[in-house]
Amino acid sequence: MKEDFSRREFIKTAGVITAMAALGDMPSSLFGSELPMATYPEKTGLLVLTSRPPQLETPMHLFTELITPNNALFVRWHLANIPLSVDLNEWRLKVGGNTGKELSLSMADLKKFEKISYTAVLQCAGNGRSFFEPRVPGGQWKNGAMGNITWTGARLRDILNTAGLKPGSVDVMFNGLDSGSLPSVPDFKKSLPVDKTLEEDIMVAYEMNGEPLTMLNGFPARIIVPGWYGTYWVKALSDITVLGKPFEEFWMKPAYRIPDNPCGCIPSGTTQGRTVPINRMTTRSLIITPSPDTTIQKNKPVEIMGVAFSGGYGIRDVIVSTDGGKTWSEARLGQDKGKYSWIQFSHSWRPLKTGKYTLMAKATNSIGDSQPFEKLWNPSGYLLNNVEKTEINVI
Amino acid sequence: MKKNITVIAISIVLSAGLTFAGDMARSITLPDIKVELKAGAGKDKVETLCNICHSTDYITTQPPLSKAQWTANVNKMIKVFGAPIKEEDPGKIIDYLTVQYGSGK
Ligand code: HEC
Repeated sequence: MKEDFSRREFIKTAGVITAMAALGDMPSSLFGSELPMATYPEKTGLLVLTSRPPQLETPMHLFTELITPNNALFVRWHLANIPLSVDLNEWRLKVGGNTGKELSLSMADLKKFEKISYTAVLQCAGNGRSFFEPRVPGGQWKNGAMGNITWTGARLRDILNTAGLKPGSVDVMFNGLDSGSLPSVPDFKKSLPVDKTLEEDIMVAYEMNGEPLTMLNGFPARIIVPGWYGTYWVKALSDITVLGKPFEEFWMKPAYRIPDNPCGCIPSGTTQGRTVPINRMTTRSLIITPSPDTTIQKNKPVEIMGVAFSGGYGIRDVIVSTDGGKTWSEARLGQDKGKYSWIQFSHSWRPLKTGKYTLMAKATNSIGDSQPFEKLWNPSGYLLNNVEKTEINVI
Repeated sequence: MKKNITVIAISIVLSAGLTFAGDMARSITLPDIKVELKAGAGKDKVETLCNICHSTDYITTQPPLSKAQWTANVNKMIKVFGAPIKEEDPGKIIDYLTVQYGSGK
């Protein structure tokens, strides 16, 4: 069932702005700001940043649930040859390198390890990049490169201990089934320091929300590093290799790095000096409803709702403002699915006057880290977590 | 790694582009999305050379980058990723990108 999406069909789905832009009637600043929407296998309609390889963004209105449905989770591949077919009769996860023995695990073998499960936010390192000022090159995500999923799989540590780490192990490298169109394109391999891989919660997941992984989210298995950005969550996993020296290929260095300072930021538009690999996620809160530019009725109750999460430290509180930050109230928090999950927040409000209102939310995690009011900046467009403003109209 | 990927002959179509063959195999077909680049000098070169490793929506979705930023981008494609672009081409490609998808300066 091949579906053909021509520019014309995009226009139908994405609406007037795209149509005008395609016809060249639109100022160039708006061109490209409205993305086409398409339906990929096992997915609902998602925004297409790029088609080959697919980078698909979740529209914000799909974040009203505590758990993101599998068909709504964003998609981010780096290299054009993504796995389109996987046969578990042939697929094996190879574990080796600086280990006592080599493993070649089938899916059945993988499922013999103790099964663990938790809910964790998956977020792309570049989520929100399109809001950087000044703008930076790279995937122009709005805030939809995230999702909250219940992952199930085997503990990475158990797999590594079965293989047996030899003394002198430094990094553990992960490779997947994807590859570039030309041999000169660096293969997408990522690594974690060996100490990190021995933490209790790092997982080789084979299920999302109780189902096998979708093909576009990494069937048959992927790495889960809860609290850390998605770049480490290697999809369609094929190899785990223990190394006796630091792993420094392209996708670890110079790609996916942040300035080596507490904020991971530098003055806007300047050049970064020393860098470190991107790691833990910053604390964020996002108002999902009402959505920006909504019009609501004076004197009618409104529920301001959203999601908040941090880099694996849970959320201590969320405060909400309806007057652009002058006054704040503590929001109610929803069901707690653990420190790696997002938590839903809500605040009941009844606007008494007509006019424009600026809604804001600010989350603090359990170790006291919160969100800056100003956007911090780095040249790769990572870590965005400023307090956002949702403008709405009351009539 | 290629040997893990097999073409499945007998399969049942379940939903748009997803097929299963028994419980063990899965395969998908991606929608065929066409990206139309803006007309202008250099378009042909960009359409051919910048389409080898990825679709050209990588270009069209970028913010309006400066000439220096497009130059850095094309150099990265050549030096880091091995884009097969001949000595004389980068200038024309960079001009096209700066005029059509850049800040124009
Ligand atoms: C040899 C393979 C190859 C060729 C040819 C190629 N690119 Fe790329 N390009 C890549 C890879 C790999 C990426 C990174 C993809 C990702 O991270 O999603 C990339 C990413 C990009 C990006 C996103 C920004 C960034 O730096 O990641 C832009 C823009 C881009 N390419 C433009 C071009 C243009 C313009 C051309 C033609 C001059 C071109 N590419 C030709 C491999 C190539």
